[in-house]
Amino acid sequence: MQLSLSASSLHDRDVFSKSDPMVVIYTKGRDGTLTELGRTEVILNSVNPSWITKHTITYHFEFVQTLIFRLYDVDTQFHNIDVKMLKLDEQQFLGEATCALSEIMTKKDRSLIIDLSHREDSTRATRPQNCGKITVHAEESISSKTTIEMTLSCIDLEYKDLFSRSDPFLVISKKVETGVIIPVCKTEVIKNELRPMWKPIFLSIQQAGSKDQSLIIECFNFNSNGKHDLIGKVEKSLAELEKLHSSKQGEHLFLATAVGNHQENKVLKSRLFVDKFTESVQHTFLDYLAGGFELNFMVAIDFTASNGNPRLPDSLHYIDPSGRPNAYQRAILEVGDVLQFYDTDKRFPAWGFGARPIDGPVSHCFYLNGSSHYYEVEGIQGIMMAYTSALRNVSLAGPTLFGPVISYAASIASQSLANGGRKYYILLIITDGVVTDLQETKDAIVKASDLPLSILIVGVGGADFKEMEILDADKGGRLESSSGRVASRDIVQFIPFRDVQSGEVSVVQALLAELPSQFLTYVRTRDIKPNV
Amino acid sequence: MSKFYSSISISSRTIEITVLSAENLKSNRRSIKKNAFAVVRSNVGNDFRTTVIDTDGGSNPKWNDKLVLDLPVQAPALTVEVHCKTTTGNRLVGTATVPVSDFFGGYVPENYLQFLSYRLRDQRGDSNGIINLSVRTKVPPAPVYSCSAASASSSAATVVGVPLSVGKNIFSGVVTGLPV
Repeated sequence: MQLSLSASSLHDRDVFSKSDPMVVIYTKGRDGTLTELGRTEVILNSVNPSWITKHTITYHFEFVQTLIFRLYDVDTQFHNIDVKMLKLDEQQFLGEATCALSEIMTKKDRSLIIDLSHREDSTRATRPQNCGKITVHAEESISSKTTIEMTLSCIDLEYKDLFSRSDPFLVISKKVETGVIIPVCKTEVIKNELRPMWKPIFLSIQQAGSKDQSLIIECFNFNSNGKHDLIGKVEKSLAELEKLHSSKQGEHLFLATAVGNHQENKVLKSRLFVDKFTESVQHTFLDYLAGGFELNFMVAIDFTASNGNPRLPDSLHYIDPSGRPNAYQRAILEVGDVLQFYDTDKRFPAWGFGARPIDGPVSHCFYLNGSSHYYEVEGIQGIMMAYTSALRNVSLAGPTLFGPVISYAASIASQSLANGGRKYYILLIITDGVVTDLQETKDAIVKASDLPLSILIVGVGGADFKEMEILDADKGGRLESSSGRVASRDIVQFIPFRDVQSGEVSVVQALLAELPSQFLTYVRTRDIKPNV
Repeated sequence: MSKFYSSISISSRTIEITVLSAENLKSNRRSIKKNAFAVVRSNVGNDFRTTVIDTDGGSNPKWNDKLVLDLPVQAPALTVEVHCKTTTGNRLVGTATVPVSDFFGGYVPENYLQFLSYRLRDQRGDSNGIINLSVRTKVPPAPVYSCSAASASSSAATVVGVPLSVGKNIFSGVVTGLPV
């Protein structure tokens, strides 16, 4: 993304002339630390400046990227110094503004106007703020709209199964700055094959980061219990893969093996080939967002008895008086935090399942807010409040059924289709355990696979989530319903939440990272174009 | 009289099935080499449509062939068969049953292009690949209503959704897709 900046009605700080403004852009890390992204040039004598210097930032769907803009009036005595060398505390502060990158992305013209505020002034609430406004415009660089279509194949893979050949599939991941590895793309599983050729995969430059970003391509042997064996891997950037394609050479897979105390890469006989490599410019996820598509967020929470009595501290539903969020609250906050920016009305349908509302029989889809008429709540805070009030008002029961909730979400998605809506729905199901109605759930998912809907399942607690892995179709074959219908695309993504208890963020990122491609599969197979 | 009209007039609906592709087709445990084609049958009567033959897709044939079919109201399902043309004749590779309820009266609005996939099973009932279809249920254009209402003057109210009459006449057994 390229950011360009302009401002209007800035404070006039200089006595004999207008201000000479400059902007410093920061990105805010999760821990609150600021990193300077860059500075603009100084514009002389202007209170309505428009800066020329553009700043490039890589957009990530899967987490919130907070930007902070600080404006300074640079005094004449510093005008001969390179802006990068300027000491900011010697300059006059004009004001600051903050926003999330996704807020800009969802604006139709990708321009966001924010009021500037002044830290010193803000303490004096009585005086009206008038520090001016800053306009941030973001543009996608052409390179990020490029999509690469690749066909990959392997030869001479090793046997991993005892009585048959391996069942290989590939996972392509990128390493982000923090060293976290995020999967961006997966192939299907090919059964019983040591010379697999997978279906073409589509990877946008935006997903990969850049053409020179190193990607990790891992080849796994599929195992139905979810513990897939790594057969071998290759680390290559897209540019290197393109070279591999033109040279028609295979790249040897390697495997890290522990030799004594240090790791050693063992080169394998198996090789990876790039049989096809083409680039094309296609509408990106962001084009659709700017072109009138909206993501609608929905939540369903597991209230089955296996979570434990909410009044006891060992329960997964325990509300800690100290305010520390439980696993359910953390999952809502972390996923909701990212998705709320894409939902303009911020009214979220919220349900609970597997509990007995006051005086009623066990319900597998009740409104979280306790109402009998409307299921929507206001904002992420509304979900949190409805959740805590539901905990007081229902008694946990069972069994764990997903079917009713998924069918409800699917009916909302189809209702919007019938009304000609340009909406894509995301249902977050948070659960502690094993689903009882596996076949009904599969049937509901298969039936919904043709609708503008994706389902994210977050597993909390220590249960065995083997069956969830089956629902997540990209980890095995395609989902099949009892009537023989097969899911037309993969709409489910499952992640066990226990991995994040140390406060890592990568799990929610991995959960959300696949959403843009699920969305694009939907619109592209239907040849739906964004409104320009 | 009016009873006769109502049974005729809503006796069938027009659907547009595009047979897109199939995956992992096997015959006698070997992957199919070439010459697969698909047949779509309505389970009532003997109405069927056939796709072109895919000569080079191997076990993952692609047809992308649009077939238009009049589906009798009482038909609960369609059958999709995949055959393979060989020197000794046509061999049935797999069959899938497509319940009509999957595209009529389900979640989705009419005229919505639906992408549906089904498991194919061979004569022994073992699974043998997947077939991918897209289906659009056709809403008859408005003039048809007025025209049929005129011909059935006594019972105009009951005449709803008269199928386009061309559908039946053109049928000759080997029709490969009507232009729309």
